[in-house]
Amino acid sequence: MAADGPRRQPVTGLPLAAPGRRTHTAGPLHTGRSRRSPRRRALLLILPAVVPTGAVVLAALTSALLSSLGLTPLVGQPRLTLDPWRAPTDHLWTAAGLSVAIATAATVLAALVGLATALAITGRRRSGRLLALLSSATIPVPHVVGAAAVGLLLADAGFLPRVLGVETGWPPLVGGRWWIAVVAEYAWKESAFIALVVSSALASRVASYRDTAIVLGARPWARLRYVTLPLAAPALVASAGISFVYVLGSYEVAWLLGRPSPEPLPVLAFRLFTSLELTARPEAAAVAVATAALALAAVAVAAAALRRMEGWR
Amino acid sequence: MTRPSSRPRRAGRTAVGLAILALVTAACAAPDSAAPQAEGRSFADIRAAADGQTVSLWMYGGDEQGNAYVDDILAPAAAEQGVTLRRVPVADTADAVNRILSERQAGVTDGDVDLVWINGENFATGRQAGAWLCGWTGMLPNMAGTDPDDPLLTTDFGTPVDGCEAPWHKAQFTLVYDSAAVPDPPTTLQGVLDWARANPGRFTYPAPPDFTGSAFLRQVLYGVSGGPEDVPLTYSQDAYDELTPRLFDTLADLAPFLWRGGDTYPQTGEQLNQLFADGEVDMTMTYGPATLPDLVADGTYPPTTRVLTLDEGTLGNASFLAIPSTSGDQEGAMVVADLALSADQQLAKARPEVWGQFTVLDLSRLDAGDRAAFEQLPAAVVPPYEELSRGADPELSAEWVPRLEEGWRQTVLAANP
Repeated sequence: MAADGPRRQPVTGLPLAAPGRRTHTAGPLHTGRSRRSPRRRALLLILPAVVPTGAVVLAALTSALLSSLGLTPLVGQPRLTLDPWRAPTDHLWTAAGLSVAIATAATVLAALVGLATALAITGRRRSGRLLALLSSATIPVPHVVGAAAVGLLLADAGFLPRVLGVETGWPPLVGGRWWIAVVAEYAWKESAFIALVVSSALASRVASYRDTAIVLGARPWARLRYVTLPLAAPALVASAGISFVYVLGSYEVAWLLGRPSPEPLPVLAFRLFTSLELTARPEAAAVAVATAALALAAVAVAAAALRRMEGWR
Repeated sequence: MTRPSSRPRRAGRTAVGLAILALVTAACAAPDSAAPQAEGRSFADIRAAADGQTVSLWMYGGDEQGNAYVDDILAPAAAEQGVTLRRVPVADTADAVNRILSERQAGVTDGDVDLVWINGENFATGRQAGAWLCGWTGMLPNMAGTDPDDPLLTTDFGTPVDGCEAPWHKAQFTLVYDSAAVPDPPTTLQGVLDWARANPGRFTYPAPPDFTGSAFLRQVLYGVSGGPEDVPLTYSQDAYDELTPRLFDTLADLAPFLWRGGDTYPQTGEQLNQLFADGEVDMTMTYGPATLPDLVADGTYPPTTRVLTLDEGTLGNASFLAIPSTSGDQEGAMVVADLALSADQQLAKARPEVWGQFTVLDLSRLDAGDRAAFEQLPAAVVPPYEELSRGADPELSAEWVPRLEEGWRQTVLAANP
């Protein structure tokens, strides 16, 4: 860690909670109570963020779980049952498979495009800046706006077929069998996110390592393979994990650009939730809990992969 | 699921839904389902109590004409009566119902919702949970302008109204076609299905549970079952088992002749309207034909757009204003509901350039001046309500609706190759 860039000494006694900055800072220089280890201080500092998030997420998940077990019905007596889990069973498996497929396709595409963009951003000065501007301009576009735009572009009577003059035979990208418009929208938006995260992770570190490698006579391919990619990998895995979980749980794009059957998990959950059959709500809760479990599993996989990485430490 | 008349189903996000779910379920107690009754009192009393109250009207917010009518015409008139009317736009009427159910579970007596634009299953769900104040519409002076025996106003999708909601407007399910593409339009529902077969790819309908698609499903059920008199309005499993196979078979057989070979369906009425506007299909359908003249005028729809009237009639319903039992400004809400029923307001609302909603008033009960004003409303693209609603079919009870929708999803939709 000590080799990267110009060393900046901490100006004040402010605890440096940033990961990777676990150096010789906080503590004995300062008066009184600051005996706590930096690790504990860091923990204290994130508490205000963790506590409300945890409370909200746990409360919501717990009540969804209770509801999915028939313990909090809207009308009638509470009764422990697995029926809500069984009722949409075949839907549940189909929906889970579809959701994972969409999320995987979108994340792989987004990771490839995002990594390439990040490399281009950090590699070239002028065009890199333009690329960085473009991809950061993509990020604040809400997904629902992105979905509407992609719909207008790719639909059967959309902008693209009109520009290309395709009267008939335009492939069903929107609402079609392969969910192409949905994957494209997620891949586009998420690649910008991944590019931003990876390029900022690279920006502060890659230059000095690369220069060292050049001095040592490494060729471009070797530099990419042994310097840049290992440095980018943790940020890439982390941001791809976030993208995957986001796509898995997000509703609006799949609903707007998808088709009524089969349904991905969030669409199924929302349809059941808004069904005015009061008994459908526990089923909606079961689907939501299943979605959350899948998302947690994905996070666990990403975290395990991160822990094995050199650059993460 | 349902919102009044033609409002599109705008779904929110799962996260929001789950948050509401958490709220609803967090208070475990099952709600008391007895409907609170309004105490009988004179309208002068109510008006005096309403003075200075603020009434929050929760209504579907995606209809700009409706929003403008409430903000620019209804709210100022309410202000003259000392009531501040605040419009709260919601993406789906079910959001308002969810809110009220949560408030009721939490024992709130001064809730955020004072008035809801509602009908159908949303109303029925709220009634099951005792969410509405009942027995108050009889106290409204302007109820005198409605026909007390009008079946559209005494039951709401088969649920007795019982003074739990005041009528606001009427709607008629309407098929719409492009007369340039369909020079010789069919005149019966069977004719429409035959036309669809003869013109592959030029017809489709929104996938239920979309509101419009669900109405089409019920209309076809009437069509293949021999008419409304052969379908019991009250739901029973026997009737379902007897009648629906023919419905689902008909629609499954029709599927290969639909847009994209029935491989998929538009998700909402809006998507179908978009297909019609883009010339991808030659027919669309709506519960709100009043918007057609505007759509033709601004060029969204071709000038050759026409309304298709069916010999056997189409589904008709009314939408209402309901007061939640959790509202703390019930007198103000009653004053607004009464005002909304006045001949002036109903007339203003019926003008196509304002909102174009059909009146719930019985014209024969109005004085000559008001009646003449209603009769002079323009009818270019859309025929007048009398003609549209000739032989109007009653709505099936609210219990039918979700079961038909689920049945369609499991048979017709799941049968996709």
